[in-house]
Amino acid sequence: MLEQFLTGFGMAMRLDTFALMAAGLFGGMLVGALPGFTTLMAMAILLPISFFLDPIVGIPFLLGVYKGGIFGGSIPAILVSMPGTGAAVATSRDGYKLTQQGKSRKALDMALFSSVFGDTSSDIFTIFMIFPIAYLVMQFGPPELFAVLLLSLVIIAATSGQNPVKSLIMMLLGLWLSFIGTDPLGGVERFTFGIFDLKSGIPLLPMLIGVFAIPEIAGVVMRNEGVRQLAALVGERLTFKEFRASFKTILRSTAIGAGIGTIPGLGQVVAAMMGYSAAKNASDHPETFGEGELEGIAAAEAANNAVNGPTMVPLLTLGIPGDNVTAILLGAFVAQGLRPGPQLFEEQGATVFAILIAMVFANILFLAIGYLSIPFFSRLVQIKTSVLIPIVIMFAFAGTFVFRSDNFDLLMLVVFGIFGLLAKAGKFDVMPMVMGFILGPPMEYAFGQTVAMGNGATMNFLLQERLGTICVLVATPIIGLALWRRMQAVTTTGH
Amino acid sequence: MFKLTLKKLAVSIGLAALTLPSLAAAEYPEKPITMVIPFGAGGSHDLNSRVITSIIPTYLNQAMIVRLTPGAGGQKGTQEVANAPADGYTLLFTHNYVDMLQQYVENLPYDPLEDFIPIARVNYAPIGVVVRADSPYQTFEELIAAADKEPGAIQMSHSGNWGALFVPAAQIMKERGVAFNLVPYKGGGPAMQALLSGDADVTMGFPSTLSTQIESGAIRVLATAGAERMFDDVPTFAEVGVEGDVGFMHRVLVAPKGTPQEAVDKLTEAFAALVEDRTFTRMMGRLNETIDLIDGPAYQKLREEQAVAYKELVEALTK
Repeated sequence: MLEQFLTGFGMAMRLDTFALMAAGLFGGMLVGALPGFTTLMAMAILLPISFFLDPIVGIPFLLGVYKGGIFGGSIPAILVSMPGTGAAVATSRDGYKLTQQGKSRKALDMALFSSVFGDTSSDIFTIFMIFPIAYLVMQFGPPELFAVLLLSLVIIAATSGQNPVKSLIMMLLGLWLSFIGTDPLGGVERFTFGIFDLKSGIPLLPMLIGVFAIPEIAGVVMRNEGVRQLAALVGERLTFKEFRASFKTILRSTAIGAGIGTIPGLGQVVAAMMGYSAAKNASDHPETFGEGELEGIAAAEAANNAVNGPTMVPLLTLGIPGDNVTAILLGAFVAQGLRPGPQLFEEQGATVFAILIAMVFANILFLAIGYLSIPFFSRLVQIKTSVLIPIVIMFAFAGTFVFRSDNFDLLMLVVFGIFGLLAKAGKFDVMPMVMGFILGPPMEYAFGQTVAMGNGATMNFLLQERLGTICVLVATPIIGLALWRRMQAVTTTGH
Repeated sequence: MFKLTLKKLAVSIGLAALTLPSLAAAEYPEKPITMVIPFGAGGSHDLNSRVITSIIPTYLNQAMIVRLTPGAGGQKGTQEVANAPADGYTLLFTHNYVDMLQQYVENLPYDPLEDFIPIARVNYAPIGVVVRADSPYQTFEELIAAADKEPGAIQMSHSGNWGALFVPAAQIMKERGVAFNLVPYKGGGPAMQALLSGDADVTMGFPSTLSTQIESGAIRVLATAGAERMFDDVPTFAEVGVEGDVGFMHRVLVAPKGTPQEAVDKLTEAFAALVEDRTFTRMMGRLNETIDLIDGPAYQKLREEQAVAYKELVEALTK
């Protein structure tokens, strides 16, 4: 094993590997920064190119596109409050506030450093712990997934706002919105009123851009900042002191993210939110979260990137792709004659280690690429608002449309834009709604699966075979209440 | 004077517009062709189409562009092509369950048999019924016997209701008169993981997913689709009494009905040449995909048979 590791190390040290990885990282970052273009699309389109490259060049190239894309998504989230994916929602909250305070450069730097730290640590953790993780992955089935998703929603509601009742109302609204469309298990239509466009449910991207970006754009317009700039300054770079102040948060989020990555089906959105909630809960000034807190960015970004390492494990050890990103990587592996699965390490151990080591180096390379590109991106907010705002509006609509070229999505963008404005006026936080909307469908699916597994006797099935699930379900309200109490106590004494 | 020029201009534009269609038909394709995929990114249709569209321009002298239009279990993309002009520039890359089965379980805003004609079936994937290597069921008959004894006690994981694993499972249940407890998962990968982790007792899979697990000795195949044996010691569905077009996922390119014959011919020719292309066969081989071209008229016959079989199946299941 050690020998394979060392051989792999030598194999990864190739100039062309690094050159293509850098190209992938930069390209991925640009694609990720454009709303409506997803990293997944970029990977699927570039997949055939990797067929013609050496495995140790082609696969790191695709991984580069993936890693660059995830960070790219946080750029519009921070600069113009336009999160393109659910994973960037938590980042956008403090990021945009920092931009308004003229600290966009610090915010982007923090996002970059914590992303790279979270990703690198989780990759290294995965390399050394790959077989224990593979064992753990097998312990989670639909009942456990349901319990953990429910717990996550309770934690988000309890820690998100000043007013937990308002948060709960918004979360329930989000859950209800996620019910609209064809029921994921039975194929029955719900709340569609026979409208065909609603059959596939409300699309996520228009909702994200609508509730997060439109109210901010409208705010700038209504305050009549016509001739001024969105932010006069892009500010200084992040100092080491600031990074060190958030270091504990980054470590905590990395652990949370890596843990969530081990549970199949949870993913980056849950990780980012849990990392954020945990940081807020541990902080002695939770009221600054959401008002431009660097630590908030660190918490969300470290957590959502730390998911990446462990999600590769089912692919590498079992040959089973857990999501579409790993499905594309499976295609790339198989096309190279590498068959992911239990025997992969015996037959091709050195190559696999070479790829994993290239992943770690991709992070370091990305640190450099990101650091050099941030001044360029952060300058965006110095464009005059009279020019910037039309550009942002154009990107909001174009990004929504390009995703699947559907006019209905544009209508949804406007509807959720207006909704976002109303919610802001009524001081309702839209974040719990978005989280309910994103996490509702997987939770419902897992619930349906659990009921199907019980075959008519769900309670008996859980009691006999899934005691862990019962424990989490019983603990959920207690944890929720404790977090809420603590949050209330800290905020009231803090003022 | 100015008015006159304007009039002339209008007339000439009108004439040009009149002559354009005939010109276009004469040299189809004169612009890029869109291939709509009614599924999401990263799935097997997406990967197959990337290979097809990177080679087929050689034979069409035009680009073919993939457009992913997921939604409503494939209905969104399908409806888009049904509503598109039948000019050969908008095609749909789909599979038999969305194409022929869905019409019996949901209200579709189109009629698949009336609104589409098949152009080419590119390939198909035969399914295998599998259990864990340590499973008590050594043969397919033992599995059926156990399911017969305790209906609903055996858990079978599949890739989603009315999907590529659910339908063959239902067909087996109907033909053999047994009941499994069918538990849906989000795709074939998670369904296989459920089998390996012990949550499910039996599942199904396509050769590309199965080969890895067979090599590692994690699973045992009990039966495979079709009438020809895939493995020497594993019986076929036909041998165990499940006959017909059961357990095959056909990847097929269809066009809106009324597409000019010239365009259909040109596409048929291009696909015939494509499957002989060495780069194409090599790349598909690398993806672990077969190539087994059937032209439009031949697949249409198969479609009509599928329609009858699926209708009976849905009626039997939902009764």
